[in-house]
Amino acid sequence: MFSRKFDMGVKIGGAVAGGVVAVLVLIGYFGFRNSFADVGYRPEQPVPFSHKLHAGQLQIHCQYCHAGVEKSAHSPVPTTQTCMNCHTAVKAESPKLQLVRDSYESGNPIQWVRIHKVPDYAHFNHSRHIRAQIDCKSCHGPVEEMGVVSQFKPLSMGWCLDCHRNPEANIVGARPISGVFTGKVHDMKNLLDSSYIFTPIKAQVHDKGELEPLTVPQYGGYHTKVPPVTVAGIPHPKKAGIGPENCSSCHY
Amino acid sequence: MKLSFSKLVQIAAVLGLVVLAVMLFSGNMTWFSTEPPVEIQPNLDHQFRAIPQSPNTFFADGKSLREPVEGSIARGAQPYALGQGDIDAAETANVDPNLPNTEFVLARGQNRFNTFCSPCHYYNGQSENSAVSKKGWAGIPNLTRPETAALSNARIFHIISAGQNLMPSYADKIDPIDRWAIIRYLRSLQGVEGVASKPVASTATN
Ligand code: HEC
Ligand code: HEC
Ligand code: HEC
Ligand code: HEC
Ligand code: HEC
Ligand code: HEC
Repeated sequence: MFSRKFDMGVKIGGAVAGGVVAVLVLIGYFGFRNSFADVGYRPEQPVPFSHKLHAGQLQIHCQYCHAGVEKSAHSPVPTTQTCMNCHTAVKAESPKLQLVRDSYESGNPIQWVRIHKVPDYAHFNHSRHIRAQIDCKSCHGPVEEMGVVSQFKPLSMGWCLDCHRNPEANIVGARPISGVFTGKVHDMKNLLDSSYIFTPIKAQVHDKGELEPLTVPQYGGYHTKVPPVTVAGIPHPKKAGIGPENCSSCHY
Repeated sequence: MKLSFSKLVQIAAVLGLVVLAVMLFSGNMTWFSTEPPVEIQPNLDHQFRAIPQSPNTFFADGKSLREPVEGSIARGAQPYALGQGDIDAAETANVDPNLPNTEFVLARGQNRFNTFCSPCHYYNGQSENSAVSKKGWAGIPNLTRPETAALSNARIFHIISAGQNLMPSYADKIDPIDRWAIIRYLRSLQGVEGVASKPVASTATN
């Protein structure tokens, strides 16, 4: 009925359209996944601060700067004061630190660009995970080797659940974990130098020497006890039946 | 021009791969990107609420963090009232809670000491090998010397809480109870009698 040429045109057009659709589907399916779109996000920071230098080379503990991660949902990015603890005396004239000094004098915070972010409809709590002795490395990768921090894990729901279902396979780094020397053995290791001890002394003192797990709301706001069920020394939330797979643990 | 259908599919596939490869290596969707990630459906991702350390357009100063009303103290907060110079007042104001002499207290003290003090005073308290000493900060005292060992617990608590000259205050970073644990551990580094010199390795407690 139609001419050969038209027929051919339809075929070519159809094939090209099909190819385009296939590419779009591929992009849509893979391209916007967190593991593709979010991982590797490495914004430029206002100050050329290097974790590789501070945490890796100088071996300053993560918690020296990110103090409070043990007991709050949020892991604070250090205040200017924290930098000035050292930089009043070390590299006090460095032009790279000009912004830090300005901020110290004016009182206006440095505007660090945020990297890790779960959507606002999902709630993540650091303290719960740090108390379960999960090394920062499991979720942030080898930060002490990063000159500029980049996102290392997708932070997608599937990623959270993979670990909750099977923590043994997903927790990396030394246990009991270390602050800076994630994985690295320090020469004074025999002094237990890097192990985190989570139980607040308060609980221990008040309970006359008994090591009560954290139940105080101010330590993260959780009223449930740390699960007694462990697999190879790692708390196993699923086996303990405390619902980190329950939608309302994270969406509330 | 003659093109078989299968040939076209091949070309489309190659083109598709090229497009993907370009996206992968060009920047926006690569492993490393300085641009914020793309969001196709950002509906509830960014809700209008106060998030710690984030800007907030609701308040005039643009910060989410609110300053407490003058004279009020946040629940659970234990601010340190004395200034750096109030050395005499510190002796009576800082009452040592006499933590039990247990392995746990020592280990906790060690953990906090290594986190907050070791950058300047090193793991053994002797300061000379610490990160900042090696980078040219001279004159950080050796905490195991007799002069420091002679300081009272209340005074050391004061030094940690209020700072001393170039040493900054750690009141905002270390809970008071942890400061006393640090002092206990410091005493063990100084070899004070009655305090075990090293915490025995124990399995960490959850
Ligand atoms: C000397 C202080 C300091 C130390 C020590 C330090 N950090 Fe940081 N960290 C910062 C600063 C400042 C930023 C914000 C600027 C940036 O992203 O580089 C930051 C940012 C981060 C971020 C990204 C936050 C975001 O916006 O999502 C992560 C993750 C992080 N640090 C983890 C760690 C870990 C893990 C360690 C220990 C290995 C560590 N930090 C040690 C100061 C420090
Ligand atoms: C515990 C001490 C300590 C703290 C806290 C600290 N730094 Fe440093 N930082 C150092 C030392 C030591 C050096 C110098 C290393 C050297 O000389 O090679 C340094 C170097 C730097 C440099 C490179 C300076 C230059 O001229 O090469 C920058 C930038 C820097 N720090 C930023 C920061 C920022 C931002 C913070 C706060 C988040 C911070 N530092 C907190 C100890 C510290
Ligand atoms: C179980 C995984 C996990 C562990 C372990 C973990 N983090 Fe995070 N971290 C996250 C997630 C998820 C976010 C994004 C949180 C959000 O958007 O609310 C984040 C965000 C951050 C931020 C940005 C500020 C914030 O709170 O949103 C910093 C800084 C940070 N983490 C530091 C650390 C440090 C330091 C450690 C180790 C002491 C650590 N994290 C351990 C998963 C983890
Ligand atoms: C590397 C492993 C790991 C990853 C990744 C991880 N978690 Fe967890 N999470 C745990 C473990 C282990 C526990 C149990 C800790 C405990 O009970 O002390 C837990 C507990 C929780 C709880 C408390 C559950 C309850 O019922 O009380 C919440 C909420 C939670 N995680 C949220 C998240 C979110 C949101 C993410 C992803 C952004 C995430 N977690 C990623 C290991 C992980
Ligand atoms: C461990 C914490 C956790 C649990 C449990 C959890 N979620 Fe999620 N959920 C997340 C996180 C984190 C995200 C955000 C992922 C992202 O960044 O795309 C999310 C995203 C979602 C989204 C939005 C997906 C999108 O791309 O728009 C829906 C819908 C959702 N969850 C439903 C559920 C349901 C239903 C359950 C119970 C079966 C559940 N979630 C349990 C952490 C959790
Ligand atoms: C940023 C570096 C730095 C950090 C971190 C630091 N100190 Fe100091 N410390 C100093 C300096 C510098 C001095 C000397 C102050 C002076 O000149 O009077 C000092 C002095 C002291 C003294 C008095 C010694 C004496 O004989 O006069 C004590 C006690 C002390 N520090 C304990 C601690 C404890 C405990 C910590 C951990 C909570 C700590 N320091 C963390 C820098 C630091």
